[in-house]
Amino acid sequence: MNAEALERYQALPLPDTTQEHWRFTDLRGFDPDVFSRGQTLAVQDVPAKTMLELDVAGLATITESGISVERAPDGITFQRLDEGHERLYSLVGWDEKFAAHNAAVWQHGLLVHVPKGVELDKPLYVRITSSANESALFWRLLVIADPGARFTLVEEVVSSRPDLHAYTNEAAELFVGDGAKLEYVSLQNLSRETWHFASHHARVERDAELDWVAGGFGSKKGKVRIQNDLAGEGATSRVTGAYFTDGEQHLDYDTFQEHIAPNTTSDFAFKGALRDHSTAVWRGMIRVEPDAQKTNAYQENRNLMLSPTTHAVPIPGLEIMANDVRCTHGATVGRVDREQLFYLMARGLTRSEAERLIVRGFFEDVLARVELEPVREALATALEARIPQG
Amino acid sequence: MHVALEDGTEIVKGVDLAVNMDEVHAVMGPNGSGKSTLAYALMGHPAYEVTEGDVLLDGESLLELEADERAQRGVFLAFQYPHAVPGVTVTNFLRSAINSVRKARNNGEDDPIPIPEFRKEILAQMDRLEVSRELASRYLNDGFSGGEKKRIEILQLAMLKPRIAILDETDSGLDIDAVRVVANGVHELVGPDMGALVITHYQRILNFIKPDFVHVMVNGRIVEEGGPELAHKLEAEGYERYGKAA
Repeated sequence: MNAEALERYQALPLPDTTQEHWRFTDLRGFDPDVFSRGQTLAVQDVPAKTMLELDVAGLATITESGISVERAPDGITFQRLDEGHERLYSLVGWDEKFAAHNAAVWQHGLLVHVPKGVELDKPLYVRITSSANESALFWRLLVIADPGARFTLVEEVVSSRPDLHAYTNEAAELFVGDGAKLEYVSLQNLSRETWHFASHHARVERDAELDWVAGGFGSKKGKVRIQNDLAGEGATSRVTGAYFTDGEQHLDYDTFQEHIAPNTTSDFAFKGALRDHSTAVWRGMIRVEPDAQKTNAYQENRNLMLSPTTHAVPIPGLEIMANDVRCTHGATVGRVDREQLFYLMARGLTRSEAERLIVRGFFEDVLARVELEPVREALATALEARIPQG
Repeated sequence: MHVALEDGTEIVKGVDLAVNMDEVHAVMGPNGSGKSTLAYALMGHPAYEVTEGDVLLDGESLLELEADERAQRGVFLAFQYPHAVPGVTVTNFLRSAINSVRKARNNGEDDPIPIPEFRKEILAQMDRLEVSRELASRYLNDGFSGGEKKRIEILQLAMLKPRIAILDETDSGLDIDAVRVVANGVHELVGPDMGALVITHYQRILNFIKPDFVHVMVNGRIVEEGGPELAHKLEAEGYERYGKAA
């Protein structure tokens, strides 16, 4: 137990809609302290439905009862994260309510450390399964790519049952050393009764490359924070997001592209489709620090409304303190056009087939950015599966 | 048949047509005469309501069917302004459409066209219609020129093999070479298994798709009918003698 973080957690009020970052995410009805936690829980031994079938080099699973590393490749560190690790909390500390909650009480963490120059052909994979009803699950990832290392980490977050009531809270700290390349995939498909909060923060050093894929399909409500620091000259980060909401779901992505060093590039593109009464907030901030000349930064959020009762709020933002930069952004909320639908149906496609084709087409350019084919296919399948059969 | 808009405005005010297999009918008329509304109503566009009369295919009413079911039974509309579907290639779209039609005709059981068969046919049809093969892997109508869109419409027609092809101003915006290619493409498909209804303002497309019957539509009504010679007469004299269009 981290006493300082706990104190901070207890001192911070639950965010409400008077705070700018929570203006569209109303947490009324949620009390993070009513969910039980700890290893004594009876975890239901139900295999969760996963989205991915991957041939992996390392495999770890996290549940309420702990972390288990089932396979780890030689020559790297892929193991249980120790509370005393020197880099812990250096990117995600306890300055915010949910980060503080995680820092205060987390128990299960994964440490991934790939030494200098080591390249892994196959991805590392961690599956987090929320499986105890009325319970909280906290976990942390600490990922270190030493200079020149190249590897992929895939994280999949699921629930053991579609009706599970839960609270999940993740903190991920990722260090991409000079000239390293990290591909990080984070797929979230929690139950519709799960409050989900996550803080991901990556630091990208000189000439390093971070390629990130975020998929959001499940959960009830919460917030996912993604911060990338372009800390070394020539650093590049690319974040690709795809989400699909329906029913009463509410997703919130809060992204931050922090350009610290000169000649750095960041490219964030999120696309989402919404059905029924679901809502989504996407907030983007590009900040270019005074020394970060020749920054090239892009942010984009596009939404497709499949029902007139959905609501999407894209909020792009720029804060530029250098004078020789290129920053662009785009944000749209569109709907399926009746004429487009008629055109496809006039060729014999049923309404749902036509919708599925339009949705697939809408996501095509973000899916094309996903380098790992099984991940790309899993995302496409998950997206299309959300269109009801007509 | 009478057709009204959602606000009740009547656009088609009594049109009676019968197209047999192996026949080409031309509906000619000035702008605003209701020709495109007729085409949309035949295809089942939800914004147009058939207020009187019926639409029959092989003796069966289509009125209660949505556009997809009409297409599955063999109605095809070549759009005047085809819509773009970003992210969906011409090939993927066409294969989906063909498979939907095949599924419907196979009592709802999947019966996908074998890929080699599909590939062979689409390449042959593209060559016949002088469509650049590069278009097959582009997104449907996304950034296509007017001529490319119309050729792709006819490519869809050739691939889907309907019973009745309705062409809505397919010649508009095309140069004469493109009109020839597109019209020949349709002409070769007309036969014992397909009839065509060619909706046009101008006579020139009819030089390549010889109509068996010409119907002149003005202000929502058929005002004159005749053989192919009527089209030439209209080209020479214009529509003015039928009075001002509404």
